[in-house]
Amino acid sequence: MTLSPDQTLMFEIWGISVNATIFYTWVVMALLTVCAILITRNLRPDVPPNRWRTMLEVIVQGIESQIEDVAGRRERHLLYYAGTLFLFVAMSNLLLVIPGFEPPTASLSTTTALALSVLIAVPLFGISSRGLGGYLRTYIEPSFIMLPFNIISEFSRGISLAIRLYGNIMSGAVIAAILLSVAPFFFPVVMDVLGLLTGLIQAYIFAILATVYISGATSQPSPKQKENP
Amino acid sequence: MSIDWITVAAQIANFLALVWLLKRFLYRPILDGIDAREVEIKDRMQEAVHAKAEAQAVAQSYQDELQALNVAQAEMTETIRKAAEEQRDVLLAEAQTRVEREHGAWRAHLDDEARKYTAKLHRVGAEALLTLLRKALDDLADQELEAQMTHHLVGKMKPMLPELRRAAGQISEAVITSRDPLSESAEDELLAEIQAVFPQVSLRFVTDEAQAPGVVLRMGGAQLEWTVASYIEGLSELIEEQLAAVGNVEARPHG
Repeated sequence: MTLSPDQTLMFEIWGISVNATIFYTWVVMALLTVCAILITRNLRPDVPPNRWRTMLEVIVQGIESQIEDVAGRRERHLLYYAGTLFLFVAMSNLLLVIPGFEPPTASLSTTTALALSVLIAVPLFGISSRGLGGYLRTYIEPSFIMLPFNIISEFSRGISLAIRLYGNIMSGAVIAAILLSVAPFFFPVVMDVLGLLTGLIQAYIFAILATVYISGATSQPSPKQKENP
Repeated sequence: MSIDWITVAAQIANFLALVWLLKRFLYRPILDGIDAREVEIKDRMQEAVHAKAEAQAVAQSYQDELQALNVAQAEMTETIRKAAEEQRDVLLAEAQTRVEREHGAWRAHLDDEARKYTAKLHRVGAEALLTLLRKALDDLADQELEAQMTHHLVGKMKPMLPELRRAAGQISEAVITSRDPLSESAEDELLAEIQAVFPQVSLRFVTDEAQAPGVVLRMGGAQLEWTVASYIEGLSELIEEQLAAVGNVEARPHG
């Protein structure tokens, strides 16, 4: 029993081994992109929206509304980033019910990659919003003594994000595999249903936490904070 | 549980590629569509606001025009009413004048009819009276009416001789007028009586159909007569009194 899909090699391209994590990530990417293209290919203002377009609009506007609730403002770049995080994690976890599919999020490499991308995105969004000086100043707030703690806090966020997502998805997959071997007719179905629920919840939590971190880095200080840092 | 850093790098690249792909094929079209629809809705709402404002302006204009029309209608109605009242007064005055005129004409016609009727009554009454008198005299006294008229006139002449002499003066002719020609004996009697008193006066007998039955003697400015006119007048007065009495009795129940 392999605990990580990283160890499963699918095929090789020009001498480069493609493991199951990358392969199923491409599957998820292809699925999301093809669905988006199919639904939005005939999207014109003079054509009334069909049910698929309405579904996508509901999803996108729901994500935008959540981001607005957390960040307090509408920000399209944050929507692209956090929305993609949510859709990718949610789709990966939902495809868990397909026999033979190994969710990429069950790989610590994937969750680490997502956590690293959040760790990188936070300062990038912060710098683009506040400028380099303004962003670096947040590490010495409210005083210079807090600098090491703020740095530790930044890294611990990424680690917690990665471990949280990996632990939940991996544990669900592992428990399902164990129960499948013990009681193959009843518990796997229950665990798969539970896995769908926890997968969606984890996708939501992961995207929301990323949004909170990024919006915390990009939020402008209030005038009172500027006067009394 | 291990981390494959090559896979981590590939997954970061995959994730960034997915961000670009979804931004290109999902978020942009969807958000642009939503934005376009919001803009369209906003435009339509603006158009609706403008249309509503225009509709309100048109409605206000319509109300103003309606009010002006109502005022004009009221003024026109008042003008027409005054004109109608004036025309009614004129027509009433004309009708009153016409009624008065017709009433006057009717009254004149009535008076004329009354006069004609009275004249006819007099004539018929005179004829009837004369016929009755003639018959009564013939039946009772075996006398002619003309002879009796002549006797009566001669009888009236004797007490009035002084007045007749003064009135006659130097005249040479006296005129006896009757409606019907007198009998020869009556003429002879009258001639004898007058020439006995006035020998120089000749006598001329004349008939006048317009005269009441009887005999009239004209001598200069004096005149002696006996006609049935006075009797007829008395008869008319009697008839009118009777008719007035009957009219009063009939009119009393009506109050």
